[in-house]
Amino acid sequence: MISISPKALAPGSDTSFKKKLDLTNLTPDQVALDINKLNLFYGKKQALNNITMSIPKGQVTAFIGPSGCGKSTLLRSINRMNDLVDDCHITGEINLHGNNIYDKHVDVAELRRKVGMVFQRPNPFPKTIYENVVYGLRIMGENNRRKLDEAAEQSLRSAALWNEVKDRLHESALGLSGGQQQRLVIARAIAIQPEVLLLDEPTSALDPISTLTIEELINDLKKQFTVVIVTHNMQQAARVSDQTAFMYMGDLIEYSDTNTLFTTPLKKKTEDYITGRYG
Amino acid sequence: MNKWFRSGSPWIWLSAGGVSISLISVLGLLWLIASRGLSYFWPSELYQFDLTDQHGAKSVVIGEIYDREQIPVSQLAHLNLALDPEQEILERLLIKTGNRELVSLDFRWLLSHNIQKTQTPNDLVVIERRTNGNFYGFIESVVVDGKEVDESKLSELLARVDNFQDQIDDLQKSDIGAINYQLERLRLKTRKYQLENKLTAELQAQIDSEIATLNQDYALLEQELMGYREQISRDHIVMRAMDGQLVTINFEYILKVTFNNQLSVIEKTALFFSHIGSFLIDDPREANTEGGVFPAIFGTVLMVLLMTVIVSPFGVIAAIYLHEYAGKNAFTKLLRIAVINLAGVPSIVYGVFGLGFFVYMVGGSLDQLFYSENLPSPTFGTPGVLWSALTLAILTLPVVIVSTEEGLSRIPSEMRHGSLALGATKAETLWRIILPIASPAIMTGIILAIARAAGEVAPLMLVGVVKMAPNLPLDGNFPFLHLDRKFMHLGFHIYDVGFQSPNVEAARPLVFATALLLVSIIVALNMTAVSIRNKLRERYKMLEH
Repeated sequence: MISISPKALAPGSDTSFKKKLDLTNLTPDQVALDINKLNLFYGKKQALNNITMSIPKGQVTAFIGPSGCGKSTLLRSINRMNDLVDDCHITGEINLHGNNIYDKHVDVAELRRKVGMVFQRPNPFPKTIYENVVYGLRIMGENNRRKLDEAAEQSLRSAALWNEVKDRLHESALGLSGGQQQRLVIARAIAIQPEVLLLDEPTSALDPISTLTIEELINDLKKQFTVVIVTHNMQQAARVSDQTAFMYMGDLIEYSDTNTLFTTPLKKKTEDYITGRYG
Repeated sequence: MNKWFRSGSPWIWLSAGGVSISLISVLGLLWLIASRGLSYFWPSELYQFDLTDQHGAKSVVIGEIYDREQIPVSQLAHLNLALDPEQEILERLLIKTGNRELVSLDFRWLLSHNIQKTQTPNDLVVIERRTNGNFYGFIESVVVDGKEVDESKLSELLARVDNFQDQIDDLQKSDIGAINYQLERLRLKTRKYQLENKLTAELQAQIDSEIATLNQDYALLEQELMGYREQISRDHIVMRAMDGQLVTINFEYILKVTFNNQLSVIEKTALFFSHIGSFLIDDPREANTEGGVFPAIFGTVLMVLLMTVIVSPFGVIAAIYLHEYAGKNAFTKLLRIAVINLAGVPSIVYGVFGLGFFVYMVGGSLDQLFYSENLPSPTFGTPGVLWSALTLAILTLPVVIVSTEEGLSRIPSEMRHGSLALGATKAETLWRIILPIASPAIMTGIILAIARAAGEVAPLMLVGVVKMAPNLPLDGNFPFLHLDRKFMHLGFHIYDVGFQSPNVEAARPLVFATALLLVSIIVALNMTAVSIRNKLRERYKMLEH
C-alpha cells in the first residue's frame, strides 16, 4: 500500500499539530453546518444518497472524489444553488445555526449572503475591479462611499490582491489575469462577510503559481470563515484542508480529519482512490 | 479536374462570386441613386438651339439638356422626315424649357437632326421661382419702383426681397399661426362649456373679450403683412423668352437668378452645395415637385424616434419575460413561434390593423372621452404620427424581442450564478448584471427595428402619412409635440413625387435625390445606433472563455 503523507505533500504546513476534532460528536458551537439525511434528485436520478455530516466551524473541509460523485452537488446544496436547476428536488435538511435552510420561509438571498460561493472558473462581472468587490454590499443597500471603500480595501487585502490592483481599482476587472480574477472573485465573496465560504474547484482553471497563491489564501481565510472546498486534486486537499470527506457515487464513503484519511483510511474505496487505482 | 473539385476551390470561387454579385448590386444601386440624385443639384449649361424643321420653319429653343436618346428611324416614319435612307438611328434630346406661363409643357423633345446650331450664350439666365417653375431667357430690363436700373443691382434687390420674405414667413408661421391656434382653442373651450352646460354669461363675456384682443392683434399683424407684401412686389424684371416674347416677373416670385454659362467650376460647386442645402431645409413647392423636403425629413426622423422609444421597452420586457420567467413548456414555445411569425406578416396588414384598432377604436374612444368638444371633427380618431409610430412599433416588435432574447441566452450562466451567490435576487441580477451585458444585443435589435421602420411606407399610408402637411408635428404652440397631427414621410414623398405628380418628367431627378436622402438618413440613424452598440460592447466585453 502506498500512502501519501500530507507532510510530504506540503512541507510548509505541518498538519500534525492541528487539533483533532471528533467529527461525529461536535459541540453545537463547534458546528458551522449540520447536514442531515440529505437526498438529492435530478429528475428521477438520485445524485446524493442520505448524506449526514457536520462541518466544523473555522476550519477547511475538503470534498474529494471521482468526477460525478456528487461533491459539487453537495457543495451547491449548501447555499441552495441547486434551486436553479429545474427538476432538482431535495429531502433531508442542512442546518445553519440550528435552522434548516430548506425551510419554506427561508429567504434564499439572505442565506447566500451568509454562505458565499466561488466557482470553478473565475467569473468577474464586466464592471470595474472596485464595483466587482462592492457588488454584494450594493445589493444589500450600502451606498456610503467611505464604507464601501473600506470594505473593498479590506476584502482585497484579505484576498491578497490589494497590492496588485490598488492603482487600478477603477479599471475593468476583465483586464486581470486568471489567477487575479479568481482572487478578485474571492474578495467579492468575502466583502459581504459570509460565515461560510464555499469553493467549487477554485484552482482547476488556473496555472500552478496562481494555484499556490490561492492555496495560501485559503489557509488565511479559515481564520475568519468556515471554508468548504471541492477539489479534484488530492494533493491540494491534503495541503489545505483540516477535514476531508471522500465521496463516491453519491455516497459519503469516509469523512475524517485529513491526516487520518490520507494515512490510514478506514474504507477500501478510499484507499483505492487516494492511491490512484481509479478516479 | 477531379482533383481541382476536391480541393474545394470551386466552392471558394462560387461563394466569392456570390459575395461579389451582392456587393456589385448594392454599390450599383447606390451609384445610380447618387449620380441621378446629385446631378439634380448641379447647375447645368444653358443652351440655345436654332432649329429648322422638315418644312423649313425656323425656331429657337432655350433650355437645359435633360436626357439623350437613340431611336430607330422607323419609329418616326409618321413624321415624313427627309432623311438619308441609309440612316437607321436618330438621336433626340429632351430639353427642359420651363416658362410654364407661355407653354403648358415645360419639357420638349428635339431631334438632333433638326438642330442647325447649338450655342451657350453667356447672358442666358435661369430664374428659379416660387410658382410656375423655372424661367429661361434673357434679361431685358430690371425695373425698380417704376424706373429702369442696371442689371448689376440684381443681387442687391434679390437680397432685399429675401429679407422681406423671411419676415413674412416668420409672421405667418409663428405669430399669425399662434393667434389662429389660440382662437381655435377658445372656440373649443366655448364648445366644451356648452356641452357641459356650464357656459355662463360671465364666461362667455370673458371668452369674447379674449377673442376680441386676439382679433385686434391679428388685424395689426395683417397690416404689417400687407406692408411687407407691398414692399416686395415693388420691383420687377422684364425677360425675353426663346420666341422673343417679353415677360414681366415680379421679384416677389423670384428665388434665384443665375447666369449658369458664366459660372466657373468653383462657383458651380458652391451653387451645387447651396442647392443641396435648400433641398434639405426648404418646404416643398408646386405640389412637391420643387423646393425642399424638410417636412418629410422631419416627419421621418420624428416618427422613427417615437417608434424606437415605444418599441424598445416593450420588446425588452417581452424578451425578458420569455427568456427568464416563462416556464419552459409548450406554451412558451408556441408564444415564441408566434412572435417570430409576426415578423413575417406583410406590412400593409399592420397598416390595416393600425387603422382599425389604433385610429378608429383607440383614437375614436379618446376623442369621445377627452376631445368631445371637437367632434364631429376628430382629434386622435384620425391617422396621425402617434398611430404611425405605434403601428410600426408593433411591426418591429418581433425583431427587438428575438435579438434581445438571443443576447440574453448568450450570457454565460456563471454571470447569473456569480450574482445570485452574492445574495442578489433574480430581479437584482437582471437589472444590475444581465441587462447591461445584454445591452449590445438589445441595441442590435433596435438597429434592425430602425432599419425596417424607416423604410416602411405601405402601412403609413393608412395610419398617418400625407402628401402635404400644413404644420410640423413639433412647433412653438403648447403642448409643442402634436402627436395627433399628420406628417410627411420621405418614402411616401418618393412615391408621391414620382408617380402622383402632374409633372412626372420634372420630378424624376427629385425622386432620385429623395431616395438618396432617405438612404442617407437610414444609414445615419443606423450608424448612430451602431456606434452606441460598439461602445456598449467595449464596456461589457465578455470574458473569452
